[in-house]
Amino acid sequence: MTKVDIERKIQDENDRIAAGNRRTFTDAGVLVLNIISSPGSGKTTLLESTLDRIAGEMNVLVIEGDVSTERDMDRVRARGAGGIQINTGGGCHLSAGMIAEVLGGLDLESADIVFIENVGNLICPSTYDLGEDVRMVLLSTTEGDDKPMKYPAIFLEASLAILNKIDLLEHLPFDIEKVQKEIEVLNPNCEILRLSALKGDGMDAWIDWIRAKIAEKKGSS
Amino acid sequence: MHELSICQSMIRIVDSTMEQHPGAKLQKIFLEIGKGATIEPILLKDAFAIVTSGGPYEGAELVIDEIPIVGKCRDCGESFRYEEIAFGCPNCDSRSVSIESGLELNIKQLEIDEANGGTKT
Repeated sequence: MTKVDIERKIQDENDRIAAGNRRTFTDAGVLVLNIISSPGSGKTTLLESTLDRIAGEMNVLVIEGDVSTERDMDRVRARGAGGIQINTGGGCHLSAGMIAEVLGGLDLESADIVFIENVGNLICPSTYDLGEDVRMVLLSTTEGDDKPMKYPAIFLEASLAILNKIDLLEHLPFDIEKVQKEIEVLNPNCEILRLSALKGDGMDAWIDWIRAKIAEKKGSS
Repeated sequence: MHELSICQSMIRIVDSTMEQHPGAKLQKIFLEIGKGATIEPILLKDAFAIVTSGGPYEGAELVIDEIPIVGKCRDCGESFRYEEIAFGCPNCDSRSVSIESGLELNIKQLEIDEANGGTKT
């Protein structure tokens, strides 16, 4: 028997491609957000509501990741976004390679921001760097307030957490202060915003956050 | 359930190593997987068995070293082992704990049989 040392991260190849994506995004001066959440937490509704507020002001691209259908892409196109749908055909996450494959078909130079809507799943996407600037986790009040500690990996990696569906707080046993504290414990560097994408509460602060991040990215590239 | 994708990435790394040992038979793959890495060793072994069935790596064994989650308190500096990522310092009750290990997803080593391999090319 012969032992052969390897000593490599299994994600090396993904991380290498992600670094290439990141260079492409930075060269184009475009801000990129990777949005991760469970199915049904409101990722696409947040994008629709965001587009209603910024589509006239900035150029928005969306990369939609879903197991199947173009339904989400149709929804954001109707609100003025460009972009592309990726169907993973059963895959539970997007990978850096999937993003690299579609970048050639996108006009990044004239875009201000790219939203990557990951496949609805709170576990698997957290293992895959896509080359984004901001990894963002969306958690809605209907999912229950125990989720940060039950699915800690994504909260460890995220630099922004959005607590969505706050309009339903009065009807639900969701302790939003506890959730905020637990996220802060897991990741003191994670910014936290509270909003209702459907009703509009808190959306102004989110739009201001986007504007500031875009300005920061354009200033640095 | 991304064990299948992780398995495929791992096999690409194995492929590139095995290319340098033509004719050798893969016996074991030694892995380090953190307990907080969101990978289930059993599912990874199942995925590996399915993916390699009928191919040159069929029957090879995954030897998984599960790395414990170790957190270090940012306030008192003590390190502790945790069963899951749910933090608090048992020493000073601080809630500010950084992760020192337990998120690994590494391929360390292969064990191959060069004498008793497949057909030499």
